[in-house]
Amino acid sequence: MRRWRRVLGGAGVLLLGYGGLQLVTGNSVADLLSLAVWLVAAVAIHDGLVSPTVLGAGALLHRLPPGPRRFAQAGLVVGAMLVVIAVPLIHREGTQPESKALLLRDYGANLAVLLSLVAVVSVVAYVVHVVRARGDSRRAVSDPSRG
Amino acid sequence: MVPRVLTDKPPFWPRFTSPVRSTAMTARLGRVLGIMFGICFVTGLASHYQYQPWNWLPEPASPVWLYRVTQGTHVVTGIACIPLLLVKLWSVYPNLFRWPAVRSAAQAIERLSVFVLVSSSLLQLFTGFFNILGWYPWPWHFVRVHHYLAYVVIGSILLHIAVKLPDIAYGLRTRVADGDVLTETPWSDNPDSHSNAGVDVLPPPPEAISRRDLLLVTGAGVGLVIVTTAGQTLTPLRPLGLLAARDPGKGTQGLPVNRTALQAGVVQTATAPDWTLEVQGDRPYRIDLAELESLVDHEASLPISCVEGWSAGAHWRGVRLLDLVLRAGGSSASRVRLVSLQTRGAFGSSAIEGPQVAHALLATHLNGQRLDIDHGYPLRLIAPNRAGVLNTKWLTKIVVS
Repeated sequence: MRRWRRVLGGAGVLLLGYGGLQLVTGNSVADLLSLAVWLVAAVAIHDGLVSPTVLGAGALLHRLPPGPRRFAQAGLVVGAMLVVIAVPLIHREGTQPESKALLLRDYGANLAVLLSLVAVVSVVAYVVHVVRARGDSRRAVSDPSRG
Repeated sequence: MVPRVLTDKPPFWPRFTSPVRSTAMTARLGRVLGIMFGICFVTGLASHYQYQPWNWLPEPASPVWLYRVTQGTHVVTGIACIPLLLVKLWSVYPNLFRWPAVRSAAQAIERLSVFVLVSSSLLQLFTGFFNILGWYPWPWHFVRVHHYLAYVVIGSILLHIAVKLPDIAYGLRTRVADGDVLTETPWSDNPDSHSNAGVDVLPPPPEAISRRDLLLVTGAGVGLVIVTTAGQTLTPLRPLGLLAARDPGKGTQGLPVNRTALQAGVVQTATAPDWTLEVQGDRPYRIDLAELESLVDHEASLPISCVEGWSAGAHWRGVRLLDLVLRAGGSSASRVRLVSLQTRGAFGSSAIEGPQVAHALLATHLNGQRLDIDHGYPLRLIAPNRAGVLNTKWLTKIVVS
């Protein structure tokens, strides 16, 4: 394993150094400063804003009992993924000339459709789970051979 | 021995208790994400090669759909990486709050490399996505930075794998449900962790969503993102493309345009009745509009495949490039430079050589109609397996050498 780690690490440092060198030599100082700001901002926004929001939402979900919470968590994970992709589309909607056939759709409405679909699937999955669990417990009561 | 003051977390320090996070899960997420980043890197380099091929290895002309597939894969995979990366980062978020933050110089370097990895990956994916939406809220040249930042991303991934290899090996050989809980306390400090206890210490069972549930749901979410965005690339998915940026069946003459005549500043010059095509070579000559119409004798079905990932097949009619090259004293081995009338924006000219020369068409008609000005009236290049922007529009000059 040690040899693999050295090979991988060495290759990584070389590629990283090459990319970094090309970035530094191929861009103006003003562009590099701006790039540095964006790189730091990407981490700051993720670690300081997005993640705490997700953790906060998770904490709020603790008010739900564990049974339904499991399905709410699943639905929210899928929904959040769709929101992340849809928000830039919604923001850019209608900014392009028609001949480009770019951003023609009503992304807000489409996101609403998708989120409703995710919500319905989550609720149906929970209901199916509850009904099945009841069926199982009834069978367990009526059938003494099952523990 | 580290003083106790440094090993004890301050009371306000965040504590992560969720048993859902686990090295076993992170390793599985990371494995898929690493493969997807690898696909993006390789297809991205293939795309870059379209713009700067080596003289001795020109782009092939067949299969005609090669670039369509590689660049479609690049964009679909890149978009799918966005939600997956966010879940991966969620799964390791407690690592940000290790206490003490840094124990040694080596660890400081490691944490710095993780910062480079996270920031460059986030920036690469999101700026790539914004580029598809024609959105450039930054001052730098997108292609240049996207190209070289890719090396930084891939390099820091390899370095990260090297650093984490023991954790990855542990994570992948452990069942997802059984693996150690990942908290802000490193496993090496945790007497209860699997690796230190020497026996199987099972994690507490999760109250609600389980690790396996979360992996399944992540897969479903990423799948849904692919299905709803890939319609601009995969024709069968077009009706489901609720979040697809481009509609390849729409646009002028049923085909999208990437740069309009207005944007290129050619509205006047491209429609001038005294337009001519200047052909330079051993036997230079000029073609005017009337002669151009009389030369139209070839047809081809070729896709337009854009660097932004969308593609669409189309039917073209026009003049074979090779016929004009031969008339100028060149051959199928010539290197040909095609110059546009365009005065604004990049890609005002392109070079074509190798197998593509014999298969290229100078198109006058698209889908049965005379080319629209946005598609390059009066004359444009269309060649197989060629990035969209390299199919130069509004031609004014051809240089055969």
